[in-house]
Amino acid sequence: MISATYTWAQFIPEFTLVGLATLILMADCFLPKLPKSFYALFGAAGAVAAAFFMNGEAELSQFRMLAVIATALTILLAYDYRKITCEAVSGTDSEEGSSELYALPLIACAGICALTQAKDIIMLFVSLEVVTLSSYVLAGYFRRNQGSIEAGVKYLILGAMSTGLLVFGAAWYYGMTGTFLLDAAVVYHVFFAADPAMSVGFMLAMALLLAGAFFKTGTAPMHIWIPDVYQGAPTPVSAFLAVASKTAGFAVLCMLLAPFADMQLVPMLQCLVILTAITLLIGNLGAIGQTNAKRLLGYSSIAQAGFIMVFLINGTGAEAQAQVASYLTAYLLATMAAFYAIAMVRTQRGSEEISAFRALGKTNPVIAFLITVAFASLAGVPLTYGFIVKFDSFCALVNAYALEDMSCWFTTLLIIMIIGAAAGFYYYFKVIREMYWEKPQAEDKPLCIPMVTAGVMTACVILLIALGTWPLLTGNL
Amino acid sequence: MTPLAHYLILSGILFSIGLAGVLIRKNIIVVFMCLEMMLSAANISLVAFSRAQGTEGVPVYDPQVLSLFIVAIAAAEVAIGLALIVAMFRARKSVESTAITTLKD
Repeated sequence: MISATYTWAQFIPEFTLVGLATLILMADCFLPKLPKSFYALFGAAGAVAAAFFMNGEAELSQFRMLAVIATALTILLAYDYRKITCEAVSGTDSEEGSSELYALPLIACAGICALTQAKDIIMLFVSLEVVTLSSYVLAGYFRRNQGSIEAGVKYLILGAMSTGLLVFGAAWYYGMTGTFLLDAAVVYHVFFAADPAMSVGFMLAMALLLAGAFFKTGTAPMHIWIPDVYQGAPTPVSAFLAVASKTAGFAVLCMLLAPFADMQLVPMLQCLVILTAITLLIGNLGAIGQTNAKRLLGYSSIAQAGFIMVFLINGTGAEAQAQVASYLTAYLLATMAAFYAIAMVRTQRGSEEISAFRALGKTNPVIAFLITVAFASLAGVPLTYGFIVKFDSFCALVNAYALEDMSCWFTTLLIIMIIGAAAGFYYYFKVIREMYWEKPQAEDKPLCIPMVTAGVMTACVILLIALGTWPLLTGNL
Repeated sequence: MTPLAHYLILSGILFSIGLAGVLIRKNIIVVFMCLEMMLSAANISLVAFSRAQGTEGVPVYDPQVLSLFIVAIAAAEVAIGLALIVAMFRARKSVESTAITTLKD
């Protein structure tokens, strides 16, 4: 029954990605003289090539495209970060054993691409695990670095727990519905079944499945791992987890909630509103006191997940999915630029603290401007894409008021969103303040900007500004 | 024939023990065993449901396929997990979760 749901042809991008990863791993074994950095360029180019095989028919094809772009950018970031990788993996400046860092994101990306095409829970589970298992290895990749090992172990324990919840939920979903297909008719039939025990069992299943998805998106109460793992993991891996893995999480969430699009179940909406409110509070208030730039982006990632959840409160149909995808696009561009900046500062000034960004406005005015735009977009400053999508998020909540018996809940959430957005201005601008207000110290030399970093950051910033000003110029906000 | 509920109760108990172990125990190896127990609990439910949904003694095979995938993925997870725990032991000379203190607010 399930085999009729899929065709071989729709998985060509996944086969391409896994093929590339295998090729890199094989070349690593049999061609030891080849410089490892070559694999990075090869892998990134291949990931972009895989995007051309994609047909836009799948419902979540935007998510798939985001995942591929995020993977290509991650691998390029790993290329610019190779000096630190070599020190952390081999203890010397030899490149031995650093090629998996370029191959594993490709495998994880194949998992995300397969995930967006899933129609049933078996496919969803297996492809999600492909992403998770590769991420465990990536998070603990710097095995001589205490922080990385710790991030790996924490991610493993909490990730495996969420897997356990997800499969137990899958078992109950099957038990109550008699099928693994995610389909509105199936859900409707069980929810309004004559036997109330069935709908209770089904709610248990949905709660467990959603908990598994929340782990990936970083929604409370499954957000605990995020700040620790982002801080400890190698910077390219943090970028991958922040963008690609979150995209995977929201793809799962959209898929699980899509069958409920026409139902407007008040208890479920209430749960989502409560979780979104907690997520926004934890993310935004937790970020305020941070001094480490990667940890700050970890809390920022929780906060942004809260803003994305608001779209799913308003509705879970195709329109909401498109809005989630555009928010994720803005998040991808700004967060990737921020992680490139952090990696560059780490490589040349040896620190990931916010204070390491000091006086970049004087020593490197151009790069400081690019970093400013990226963080301003995360905060939601007008004329950047970040503003447009955050505005959309507020609009979505206002539209949700159509459901009258929950207006009190929505008002509370609206207030929390405003607090969150305001707090965002404070903590994102800490980095900007550090660049322009602090005086350079005697040992601060201008950073030399690697080619790849310069190119990627410029492209991200141009896109952020273009997408942010275009709707204002054309007037269709 | 044993009724479905008995299997579900067994699997629910196993799952709860696993979840409690993950939250309470300090030794990471024990935590890891508890995680595997949660997956096994799901397997028991799946196979029980597969029998219950079947007709005339022939089970539906979809859930059994998922339980095979779970076994495979659990094995991969153990391979990665033990490697990480060994690396952690080398770095810290301990596998207690109380020794993980580098990353915190």
